[in-house]
Amino acid sequence: MFPGTTAERDAADYVVVGAPLDVSTTFQPGTRFGPDEIRKFAEPYDDYDHRTDQFFTELGVADAGDVRAWDDAEAYLTFLSGTLRDVVWDDAVPLLLGGEHTVSYAGVEATDPKTFVCLDAHLDLRTEYDGNEWSHACVTRRVLDVVDEAVVVGARTGSPEEWERAEEEDVTVVPPESVREWLAGFDSDGPVYLSVDIDGADPSVAPGTGTMEPFGLSSTQMRDAVRAVAPACVGFDVVEVNDRDDGQAAALGGKLLREFVYAHAASSGSAPDDGGRADRPGD
Amino acid sequence: MAKEQKQVRELQEGSYVMMEDSPCKINAYSTAKPGKHGSAKARIEGKGVFDNKKRSLSQPVDAKVWVPIIERKGGQVLSVSDGEMQVMDLDSYETFTMRIPDGISASSDDEIEFLEYEGQRKIVRS
Repeated sequence: MFPGTTAERDAADYVVVGAPLDVSTTFQPGTRFGPDEIRKFAEPYDDYDHRTDQFFTELGVADAGDVRAWDDAEAYLTFLSGTLRDVVWDDAVPLLLGGEHTVSYAGVEATDPKTFVCLDAHLDLRTEYDGNEWSHACVTRRVLDVVDEAVVVGARTGSPEEWERAEEEDVTVVPPESVREWLAGFDSDGPVYLSVDIDGADPSVAPGTGTMEPFGLSSTQMRDAVRAVAPACVGFDVVEVNDRDDGQAAALGGKLLREFVYAHAASSGSAPDDGGRADRPGD
Repeated sequence: MAKEQKQVRELQEGSYVMMEDSPCKINAYSTAKPGKHGSAKARIEGKGVFDNKKRSLSQPVDAKVWVPIIERKGGQVLSVSDGEMQVMDLDSYETFTMRIPDGISASSDDEIEFLEYEGQRKIVRS
């Protein structure tokens, strides 16, 4: 169980669902261990958030456990999407723990947002990878079948075809050095789904991921992005965490999930004002 | 008998199932593979036939559920007044009064098709 998830499933405002899919990882596998790694390394975090003056255990978070994954990604996404739709129908926000990035598609399909914002090193705009359109390297492309626009924050690598696709109007690429500027102008006019691919972080920050890519985001850049986007969100995930480090990636993933809940709950009026203690966005 | 028991694995999209004591038409049916330590589970998504409310249920595929026996019948409109119409069941010749649903126009002698389950009726063609 994710630490602090004390709410009953039926009465929860946020529901954690693990999705340990690990069938298309292209370099270092291990995302099947992601959900439990994140739960484990979230153990030491304090219940109290000074910035928003809230206790995590009072924010109505439940953990529904994992949806066991099998090797047919498309069938798995269909079932997972249904499970997440149940969360949405219960007026709760799904918090998905991956699993490879492919699982974000299920989160998007269940929540039907207008915009997909993801923190990611990779564009993930391939039509297919190794003949597989449900590869984790194609997730943003698949998501664009559902949403109006995608914003890839921290992107720094892709194929020529992906960069070409990224130039179309429905895709915005925010390189790591432009995050502060993008956050300053962020204003959503519709529901957003926020996906945190942990490889958006620099590998020195989160080495426990399948496809490390240097020159990445700092943990504070990711935190600021999550805090800024969370109020507009109808769903959230942390994906691509594996067990190939000493817990750094999982620790960051678990902390960002908590930041998401604190920021989302504070903005929805269930918590007192932060009294001006909010941190300034910084790199 | 207005309902019968079936195993979850026998259900399919387009058929009916009882959810929260209401007859629902199944819109989506997906199954999770069982793995080594669990049974295969199905998730069914449906919409209430008479109340249009979305519902879902998740059950092992060998669990038993109730399936409503919904009859599809023909009727003839006898008269119309104040948003209601009197209809004669063309099988049983029973007459009954029902509210004319929004978006449906009805006049005397029209033939309609309706679904019936335990006194609840819904027009599917007019």
